[in-house]
Amino acid sequence: MNIIVCVKNVPFTQEVDLVLDASKQDVKKDNLVYVINEWDNYAIEEAIRIKEETGGHVTAVTLGKEADEEVLRRCLAMGADEAIRVERGDLNPDASMIAAILSAVVKTIPHDIILTGVQSDDLNNGITGSLIAERLGLVHAAVVNSLKISEGKAQISIELEGGQDEMSQVTLPALFAIQTGINEPRYVSIMGIRKASKKEIKVIDASGLGLPGEDLQPSLIMEEMFMPPETEGAEMLQGDAGSLADQIIRIIREKGVSL
Amino acid sequence: MPIARIHFWGIDSKYLFYILVGISVAVFLLGVYSRVSVWLAAVNREKVIVSREGILNLLMDGLFGRRIFKGDLIAGLMHFFIMWGFIGLFLGTVLSTTDYWIIHFLSGDVYLIYSFCLEILGLMFIAGLLTALIRRYIARVSRLDNQAQDLWILVLLFFCVLTGFMVEGVRLAVNMPEGESVSFGGVIFSSLPSSKEQAEAVYPIIWWVHSLASLFLVAWFPFSKLFHVLAGPVNIYMASQPEAVVSRDEESPEGPGFLFRDMINFSACTRCGRCNEVCPSASAMEPFSPREFIAQANEYTRLRYNPLSRIKWFREKLIKSVSALPEISPEQIWYCTTCRACLEVCPIYIGAFEPIRRVRTSEIEEGSRVPNLLTKSLETLYMFDNPWERSKKKRGEWFGDLAVPDLTAGAKADLCYFVGCTTSFDTRAQGLARSFVKIMTHAGVSFGTLGQKETCCGDIARRVGEEGLFEEQVKKTMGLLKTYGIADLVASSPHCFNLFRNEYPLYQSPGATPLRVRHYTQVLEELMERGLIKPVKRMDLRVTYHDPCYLGRYNNIYQAPRRLIRSIPGVSLVEMAHYGPDSLCCGGGGGRLWQELEDEKKLSEVRIREAADTGADIVITTCPYCLIMLEDAVKTADLEGRLRVMDLNELIAESLGLGEEGEESTIG
Repeated sequence: MNIIVCVKNVPFTQEVDLVLDASKQDVKKDNLVYVINEWDNYAIEEAIRIKEETGGHVTAVTLGKEADEEVLRRCLAMGADEAIRVERGDLNPDASMIAAILSAVVKTIPHDIILTGVQSDDLNNGITGSLIAERLGLVHAAVVNSLKISEGKAQISIELEGGQDEMSQVTLPALFAIQTGINEPRYVSIMGIRKASKKEIKVIDASGLGLPGEDLQPSLIMEEMFMPPETEGAEMLQGDAGSLADQIIRIIREKGVSL
Repeated sequence: MPIARIHFWGIDSKYLFYILVGISVAVFLLGVYSRVSVWLAAVNREKVIVSREGILNLLMDGLFGRRIFKGDLIAGLMHFFIMWGFIGLFLGTVLSTTDYWIIHFLSGDVYLIYSFCLEILGLMFIAGLLTALIRRYIARVSRLDNQAQDLWILVLLFFCVLTGFMVEGVRLAVNMPEGESVSFGGVIFSSLPSSKEQAEAVYPIIWWVHSLASLFLVAWFPFSKLFHVLAGPVNIYMASQPEAVVSRDEESPEGPGFLFRDMINFSACTRCGRCNEVCPSASAMEPFSPREFIAQANEYTRLRYNPLSRIKWFREKLIKSVSALPEISPEQIWYCTTCRACLEVCPIYIGAFEPIRRVRTSEIEEGSRVPNLLTKSLETLYMFDNPWERSKKKRGEWFGDLAVPDLTAGAKADLCYFVGCTTSFDTRAQGLARSFVKIMTHAGVSFGTLGQKETCCGDIARRVGEEGLFEEQVKKTMGLLKTYGIADLVASSPHCFNLFRNEYPLYQSPGATPLRVRHYTQVLEELMERGLIKPVKRMDLRVTYHDPCYLGRYNNIYQAPRRLIRSIPGVSLVEMAHYGPDSLCCGGGGGRLWQELEDEKKLSEVRIREAADTGADIVITTCPYCLIMLEDAVKTADLEGRLRVMDLNELIAESLGLGEEGEESTIG
């Protein structure tokens, strides 16, 4: 079983006051801490679990700069066998470019299963997985919250709206976009990462993949990034617990909720 | 017949006896070898140094069993009688052998004194054994869990000493030399046989039964809990050895990597159960017990490192005795709060928390069974340099309107106040820092903090066994202290304090100037002694004091906070059921604050109820973890309005008239 997992290093933005950069096309990233994209963490964990259960080979792939190799070392520490970084050079790729580049790389590696996260924490497009599958002509499913592999088939469950799940059987090879909560990702120790940093990371240059020019053009043009406009201030309630409860009920009623 | 020690009276086949002695001694030696080789299989075996404290402890705790008497006089006496009965009768046998083979001296008065002493020792032994049997099987002391060997060892010892008296008695029934009446124990049995002939006939049988039982005891000795007779003293001696740095690196083998001392610990445990009685987790019926952990670790190491386990029969027998291949079940280890109470009460200084950290490390490296929230806390610590998921920029937010000199921004001061993550970020614990700063300013002390540059000292990483992360934090923090030339440091938290005081020096390069480290209670006490702070405001309050584990048991600071509390006019201090070295953990240590466990109990509620039972208005503590845990417990145990939780700084600040605005009215 050959499994490829597409992972991304993303800035951790909780608890951070984001500031826009001068171009108004992006946020200032120089002081941000980078981590593995949360969904990808579940995806790589799922791949390692499949490998542990049925045997196989896990390859982690990322598109990024040298500093982004951190995310690959983490994957290696978790148990991935191989890691590939696609050097993005000066490209500032959007989802369609990422999908084009990754699928060109993935195509050259034997694979039964390709895993991605449902979406990434930074851009939140949620389409990279589907686009890769489309380009490779693979069966795919998104928002997968359960995955069982047996005899060349995958039993999957897809999260639908309103707490409903859809169960399906998929013949491999296939691509699955993994939802958070599918497993409990293991802890990766500092020692584990140190150990993994001795393993080789293969580097491929995105410009050397022979992709046609239009694939390396963004399909989405960003016009401007701006902070959400400030709305009216919050109403601070005062009083003891009893009167607070009364006030809250009054507000809920006023907003049209029938109690 | 002259009065003298009689050897092999009426026994023809003494060579058969010596062959059997040879066999039993050989088995004994093999057993000792197998167990000691488990000790020697430890990773990074630390060098053992000569220590006066170790020798003193060996005398007091080994020869007199000092710690066995603590809290249980009867157990102390019982053990004393059994131990000295056993040693005395053993020495008696050695003297008798010397008398027979080397130099004949047991005759006349010397023999009579010898014989009389053995009678006394034998009776002591019997008294001790009977007490043990009564405690286990009639009085049913709850901490004793009565396994099969507990019964068989007592029965066998009893049988040996009883048949010993019978051998003597039957001999005296045949021939009672003048003066032999000193052997009052044997005299009792001399009336058992109805005639001299009968006595002569049964004598060899009883002699052989006594000999065989005793030889069996010798052979079984190292394989049973009796091995504590040898391992216990070693453990007592090792307890005062300096802490060793166990550097674990990428090349270290998988598994817990137990130390030399851990291995001796495991082999010395007799399952007396004192640890379970005081363990906050075990006594709250959580799925953890220090005694079971030590027992599991013992089986685990015995099977893996014992040269005898290469022998199939032995291995299978060992496996059978624990019903499966011994493993250390990984779930239990996260319950330990590392409160050190088990070590405090163990007669031979076994603490479960240190070897537990070794297992935690192995679980952390394995990764997949680490409790969920803990994974997040550690990742947060790595990313943010604090476990609270707050950006570094927010480290100084607690200053508010207070003027706090920043040593990293050019301020010069003699003393560095290391605030700590929890005190910096938790809104309740921030009160500790604010009050401390007010007191220091009031006393005119030259001090400053490391501002936003302050790091996490790494305590959480250390306690949960994330050694790699801990080393990163040590490196980072030591670098920071060096950059700003910090030589004198005071910490809010006993956890940071303990780490700086006891564990950082192990990582310091030799020759480096040692850092002076104090907990804030020590600084406050000094300020009070120097007359720089004088609590003047009278507060008619009844308070109780909760000893934090890392201040009390880890660093022996019990009196400073109490003296400070008593210095406040009007304040009376009452003690809880558990205080001082017997204090009960709030449940926040050992990484417990940073994880959620199945079947977890609120240990802090147990403690806060004890505090409430004293009738105190306020429970004072000196640790930010305890403060948070107990504050929360007041709410969940429905004690709001009846009991308040305060940090000592807050109480002192209040008595100096420096209290937070609006709070004054709520006290006193």
